[in-house]
Amino acid sequence: MKRYQRLLRSLTVTLPLVLLVAAVIRHYQPPDPAVAFPGGEIVIGVDGSFPPFASDDGGKLRGLDIDLGMALALEINLPARFVSISYNGLYDSLISGQVDLLISALRIEPARRDDVRYSRTYYDNGLVLASESGAVLDAEALAGQRVAYEYASSADSQIRAWERAGTQIEKLPYELPVHALDALRYGQADGALTDATAFRLYARAQGAWRPEAAYVTQDPYVIAVRRDRVGAWKLVESALSTLKDSGELARILDEWL
Amino acid sequence: MSERTKVAESKRKRAGVGVMAGLVALLLLALVTRKPASDLLPLEQQTVETEKPQVCVHTLLENEVEEESILRSLELARELGATTIVQFFPWAYVERERGHYDWTLADRIVRHAEMQGLRIIARLGLVPDWARDGKTETLNYLTEDLFPAFADYAAAFAKHYAGVVDHLIIWNEPNLSFEWGYQPVDPARYVRLLQASYARIKGANPQAMVLAGALAPTLEPRGSAAGLSDLDFLQAMYDLGAREYFDALAIHSYGFREPPEAEPARDRLNFRRSELLREIMLTNDDGHKPVYITESGWNDHPRWTQAVRPSQRSAYTLRAFEYAEQNWDWLENLCLWVLRFPADVYSYPDNSTLVSADFVEKPIYFALQDYARGWAQSERPWLPPPKAKA
Repeated sequence: MKRYQRLLRSLTVTLPLVLLVAAVIRHYQPPDPAVAFPGGEIVIGVDGSFPPFASDDGGKLRGLDIDLGMALALEINLPARFVSISYNGLYDSLISGQVDLLISALRIEPARRDDVRYSRTYYDNGLVLASESGAVLDAEALAGQRVAYEYASSADSQIRAWERAGTQIEKLPYELPVHALDALRYGQADGALTDATAFRLYARAQGAWRPEAAYVTQDPYVIAVRRDRVGAWKLVESALSTLKDSGELARILDEWL
Repeated sequence: MSERTKVAESKRKRAGVGVMAGLVALLLLALVTRKPASDLLPLEQQTVETEKPQVCVHTLLENEVEEESILRSLELARELGATTIVQFFPWAYVERERGHYDWTLADRIVRHAEMQGLRIIARLGLVPDWARDGKTETLNYLTEDLFPAFADYAAAFAKHYAGVVDHLIIWNEPNLSFEWGYQPVDPARYVRLLQASYARIKGANPQAMVLAGALAPTLEPRGSAAGLSDLDFLQAMYDLGAREYFDALAIHSYGFREPPEAEPARDRLNFRRSELLREIMLTNDDGHKPVYITESGWNDHPRWTQAVRPSQRSAYTLRAFEYAEQNWDWLENLCLWVLRFPADVYSYPDNSTLVSADFVEKPIYFALQDYARGWAQSERPWLPPPKAKA
């Protein structure tokens, strides 16, 4: 009888411990891709009307999001298949299971968190303050400076916010972000405030011109996975982390932006 | 128990009673001095200062939780220089139980708008649970046997707010299937709803102006499951005798990707589509009735195919007001969709607002304010494209 009691006591202590260790191991073990993506492929929903992130080039999708999807799939060791979906239909296609992931320059939508898990940021399209190389201009040193920006845009709102906070800026509003960046390049402005994508595309097109740029706001782009597809989400997070660490993500961004 | 202990016990009891009495007194004081909701009202009646009385904004106050948000939104409408707001008063919120009208929320909105000196154009719709009878989850589903019930609500609204809210829009975008709970679009059904409502409203408030239409700008052909062209729908309304059942036409006139001056055409959606609807009114000898554009504007979301650049949105909006002022003497108000959402939706509707969800005015708000209030405006809101120095 005493033997059974001892056995019972030791089980009471060891069994929960074993279960806990097993749960921890299971938690940190990468999910099996074949279970996480039972179709044997990763089906990726993308809006093909938003270059340079994705565009439909005669029936073939091209762009930053496409290359990122390919790289993720390679990392997870499954083939990728892209499905072109209109921007309005992206989340419906994810929730209904038509696609496994959305990689489509998406921002986090807090109201969707009941249905969707978001990945870490793969690109930040926040506002950047560009200035000539060697004449670094940041938000602290704006007073009295000439700043070019797109009229009525989020950059305009940011400049008004700085003004409300007491910083007097010589404002140079333009119709388009490219005009604001022109003003900086021609030496007619000390700084240009645009979103990161407009800045990178412009700077890339100018070849040798290498201005400085500092983020002023954040606008993270993320990958969306259905909330109940925990295994798929974990694989995406892990693959994205590897792509960041290896520099592959930066290479893809530089390729398109 | 010693005498000293007894005295100490007695003191403790007295102190306890004193503390309790103090607490009760404090509670009573708090109850007496508690600020009622109406204390948020400005102490003085406000007046709209504007040079452009056509300026109007659509507000979305029916889902605001905090009264302060209602007040601040309406202050922003007044400070903008808008004379008028369009505001939704959902039937489902007022008549949750059949025959029992609860005006609490509606009263709060109307009272604040009145104090800000704003005229209200009320949009009526959204079907209560009991009227949908569990048939559908969609909140616009209404069968014809319940048209009298909707008319009862419209009449009750007209009576309750007589002299304060005298402009009532019957239903929203009835040329879309969605706005009928996905029932097929049928102009005859809408005309019967107008007919059921019109006499009841006039009986309740003879000064009330019944606005019909509020049609969605769409090119959907006959037989489409989604809807029917606003032009075809309006003509069908006249063919079915609707003329007797409304006093003014409400129009939704969005610019989409075209500038406000772009020529209208039956197969194009742009700001001047209003002129085609007006022509239909004239063709049907109804030109004496005024027109209210109760939804209009441009959107500047980078992902929406029908959007424009932020600079274009701002410039087009001001030019639309100027165009309407110079060319449309039949227009009473041009109302922009939309002043503000109670919360961001993180998609393209956010880029139709003039003020962010956290009450920060967007640059377009200030541009419109300059226009409405006659404040200095530069000829060109932006500089010419820079040129490289030779």
